[in-house]
Amino acid sequence: MEYIVLIISAILIKNILLAEYLGNCPFLGTSKRMDTAVGMGLSVIFVMTIATAVTYWVQYKVLNPLGLGYLQTIAFILVIAALVQFVEMFLRKFAPPLYQALGIFLPLITTNCAVLGTAILCIRREQTFPEAIVFAIASASGFTLALILLAGIRERLEISDVPKALRGTAIGLIMAGLMSLAFFGFVGVDGSLKALLQN
Amino acid sequence: MLAASLLLLFLGLAASIVLAIASRAFYVWEDPKVLAIADMLPGANCGGCGYAGCAASAEAIAAGKAPVNACVVAPFETAQAIGEIMGQKVEEREPEFSWTSCSYGVGMADPIFHYNGATDCQAAVMLYGGSKLCPIGCIGLGSCVKACQFGALSIGDDNLPVVNHDLCVGCGACVDACPKHIITLTSATRRIVNEYVTDECTAPCMRACPTGIDIHGYIREIRDGHYEEALKIIKEKCPLPLICGYICPAPCELNCRRNLVDQPVAIDPLKRFLADYEMSTGKHFNPYKAPDNEQKIALIGGGSEGLTAAYYLARLGYQPTIYEAKPQLGGILRYVIAEDRLPRKVLDHDIKGILDMGVEAKTNMVMGRDFTMAGLLREGYDAVLLTSGGFDSRKILLPDHQKFDSSIRGVYTMLDFLVALAKGESIDPGRHAVIVHNGVKALELARKCLESGAEKVTIITHEPLDLLPMEFRDTKRLSSEGIEVSPASMVAAMGGISDRLVRIAIEPIKPVSENLIQREIKDADTLIVSSARLPELVFVHADGKPESPANGIKWQTIESFHTFPNGRENGIFASSEPGRISDASAVVKSILSGRRLARAVHQHFTDGLITPIENLVCEADYVLNITEVHDVSPSERQQPALLDVEGDSKTAWIFPKEFPGLDETAARKEAERCLQCGLICYEKTGVKESEKKDA
Repeated sequence: MEYIVLIISAILIKNILLAEYLGNCPFLGTSKRMDTAVGMGLSVIFVMTIATAVTYWVQYKVLNPLGLGYLQTIAFILVIAALVQFVEMFLRKFAPPLYQALGIFLPLITTNCAVLGTAILCIRREQTFPEAIVFAIASASGFTLALILLAGIRERLEISDVPKALRGTAIGLIMAGLMSLAFFGFVGVDGSLKALLQN
Repeated sequence: MLAASLLLLFLGLAASIVLAIASRAFYVWEDPKVLAIADMLPGANCGGCGYAGCAASAEAIAAGKAPVNACVVAPFETAQAIGEIMGQKVEEREPEFSWTSCSYGVGMADPIFHYNGATDCQAAVMLYGGSKLCPIGCIGLGSCVKACQFGALSIGDDNLPVVNHDLCVGCGACVDACPKHIITLTSATRRIVNEYVTDECTAPCMRACPTGIDIHGYIREIRDGHYEEALKIIKEKCPLPLICGYICPAPCELNCRRNLVDQPVAIDPLKRFLADYEMSTGKHFNPYKAPDNEQKIALIGGGSEGLTAAYYLARLGYQPTIYEAKPQLGGILRYVIAEDRLPRKVLDHDIKGILDMGVEAKTNMVMGRDFTMAGLLREGYDAVLLTSGGFDSRKILLPDHQKFDSSIRGVYTMLDFLVALAKGESIDPGRHAVIVHNGVKALELARKCLESGAEKVTIITHEPLDLLPMEFRDTKRLSSEGIEVSPASMVAAMGGISDRLVRIAIEPIKPVSENLIQREIKDADTLIVSSARLPELVFVHADGKPESPANGIKWQTIESFHTFPNGRENGIFASSEPGRISDASAVVKSILSGRRLARAVHQHFTDGLITPIENLVCEADYVLNITEVHDVSPSERQQPALLDVEGDSKTAWIFPKEFPGLDETAARKEAERCLQCGLICYEKTGVKESEKKDA
């Protein structure tokens, strides 16, 4: 039950792009075309899940026992960067089709704050390992959902009569803001859902 | 502090060791050629090469699936460098560029409604095919501009795309983006071999011009004072501008839309003006010539048709040689047309222009006496063109100088046989004779052939069986006699050894489908055709390459022109289209024949197929047109300046020593009169008629 609330909350209510405002760079950078948005979304789901699992282990098996919890940010960056490189090589060798599909997006994710943010959020919320993994997958799905929605809007914008000064990134940011406002409507759904499930 | 530093050091070390091991363990071998080629490619991922991106293109080049010059963006040097990696020689590639065919944008063309939807051409086309009355006009919403990755396109003030030729790389992204096919990818070569079709924007004059000169194009260049550009446009379709300027009957002027207002634009005198201008500079403006492809072509006959075919073959990169029986080139132009109409210095000027393009000419070479078709093929020519034009090609002088015989032994006209029979002479039809004729005369001749020793006679008719005379219907009786009728079919090719006909290819007139051509090869000793003279023929080596001459040279003919049959004839003996049979009634018609022959040779050696043209513009086809013009103010046609003679200048008009041309002022003024017509658009120069009524 709790997992359902966790998933809905991560996808809709606390969407990592629209409510947490993390990962704005790929949000605007890869939302110009639908196929790019889909590729990027799938790559983020893949990397975010693995990165959360690995950083969870680093936090609880390395940093905490040594009392070095304050090194979280820098250690996580290091680990995630190395991990993405490793995954890229691994995919290239053992899953060439997957590499073809996701390959060009993987380096983009190396220093993505959405990935780092999710990893840190899991620790901060003191989630258990299974919770952290589900949360990572759900967050990344929320990322993908928002990205695909924006890509759809921006493809329409391409053929609309946008004032010259607002064309391109400017109107993209305005759209992201409007989407964020729309998603704001989900706030409170998690509370009611929890109550509903408990009854 | 120390612990923190050590931890990070440890993490970093661990990560680097893992990555180092991984890079070895997960190493994927890549062709160094692919990497090297990918480095050289521009990385624009435009897809102009036909592959998904530069990386895919590099792989295809390294694997030998794509040519080393596959990239349309990279300069020639890059292709050369890639060629070095691949160990291949690179041929220079003809540059391609975008070409827009619409010249009246939204706002200038007649609209049917006002469009206010999404600014995208694809979206606009979904609504009744766009807001213009013209079904093929540019919508001007700039989908092509968005598709261009190189910034070479922009929408101009007239709502039409403007191509910046310096930036255009010819990737073709705009062509795919345009729903109206306004933008096409073209090249100097393709402009030469192009034929107009009904669904492209053509002016009435262009459609009327037998050889299809882009008339409003060159007049526009005269307006702007770009005379060399104008000559370049004319020479895309006509290599003899000065001769045409003197003697062309100018059917274009009959179709000029100015006829609806006052008098036609002086199209032909304007061409003469340009050619005069070229002559006055003392040199020839030679436009783009494709790099040499080392294929030798022989042309038999040096008249306007042979000269034209040779000129375009030279421009397409071939090495043409003309064999002319008379002491000088020019054919009918030199030996038939009165010098008063066509001064010989005019002729010599245009002929020199053709020779300058890289055409070799051998005069005093009589076919039969000095050379034969098979002999030329044996000498190493890749193709031989019979471009005798207005002169009869069916008879040649035999080496004994006494007797005439057919230039291809076994191919005769019906008349030859009928005359011989009437005289009571014996005929030799061989074992299998083929007669191409629709009438009862074919049956009579067939029976004569059977009497004279033929075992079998095949009659090929253009008409289907139910439209043939009654005598043809009883196929059972005919086949018992040894006569086979092949209705609704045509002779698509002939093949032979040395100078003898050996076999023919028969195809149905109407193909079963575009892709499926049912070709039937038959052995034939004699081919008797009902046309008065032989068609324009192109001979090539039967198996694509010269063979050992021990068994004689094997040859075959290729089709010289091909349209989809819409009620007209096809096959090499079809008579209606120039290119299949020469029309010597006007120089401009034999120029068309010559250009189409060059086109056929080029298609044969590049694609291997003479591709059919659908919706070809010709008199029989319906082309969107208008019957009245509005808002055009009349202006008088410019006449050539009168001769500087004393007394009554009108007499000087009637018999001038040399007919005068337009001077520059008059030419510029005349060019202004051109309405720059499109399919239904034209330049509205005058006051609006509605306003006139108010005033």
